[in-house]
Amino acid sequence: MEIDIISFGKISEFIKNQRVDITGISDTDALKIYLEKTFPEISQMKYKLALNENLIQQNTQISGNDLVAIMPPFSGG
Amino acid sequence: MSQRKIKNIFVTGKIDPAFIGDSIAKHSSKTAIGGHSIFMGQVRRDELDGKFVSAIEFTSYEAIALEKMNLIREEIFDKYPLNCLHVHHSLGLVNAGEICLFVFCSSAHRKPAIDACAEIVERLKAELPIWGKEIFEDHTHQWKENN
Repeated sequence: MEIDIISFGKISEFIKNQRVDITGISDTDALKIYLEKTFPEISQMKYKLALNENLIQQNTQISGNDLVAIMPPFSGG
Repeated sequence: MSQRKIKNIFVTGKIDPAFIGDSIAKHSSKTAIGGHSIFMGQVRRDELDGKFVSAIEFTSYEAIALEKMNLIREEIFDKYPLNCLHVHHSLGLVNAGEICLFVFCSSAHRKPAIDACAEIVERLKAELPIWGKEIFEDHTHQWKENN
């Protein structure tokens, strides 16, 4: 199963927008473990995920071709 | 559900003081209003190890930011008796000393306008996916963090 990953802010400097094969991963909790293993930089920082343009508040199912955004703490205003 | 359509809060580059002036002037026909409260965010020339911030470059996950701002707007209108509410936020480069955020609340009396304005500023800083990259005069950068 493949999904698209996009990233923002500081995280965009080391995780480029890309399509990744996450076969065997079915929810956002498992995806976080995968992401922190693949991109060790984010395991040291606070980040949030969005799935298909919705902020993730709790563990959520992922389907093929979903769009996952990785976001550092917000700093607007 | 509210019938208000989702407004685009984003402007490219700085928010021109003339735009702010025009925005104030446009409210002279809304004679039920008795109080305006305005907040403006300005890019600060912060110092870090002898280097000064020359600009902030703002980026956003716009789809989520606009949806979220719309929700905040509806909640604020439910909570306070406002006549109107306008929010503008910069994207792209804004130089030190220039305005990057303009929040404008109006109501019949001062208190709802002041309280709503303060609450919106706090909420948008915490809840909208917007990021500021502080660019120093030597072209190095660091990512802004909100307190």
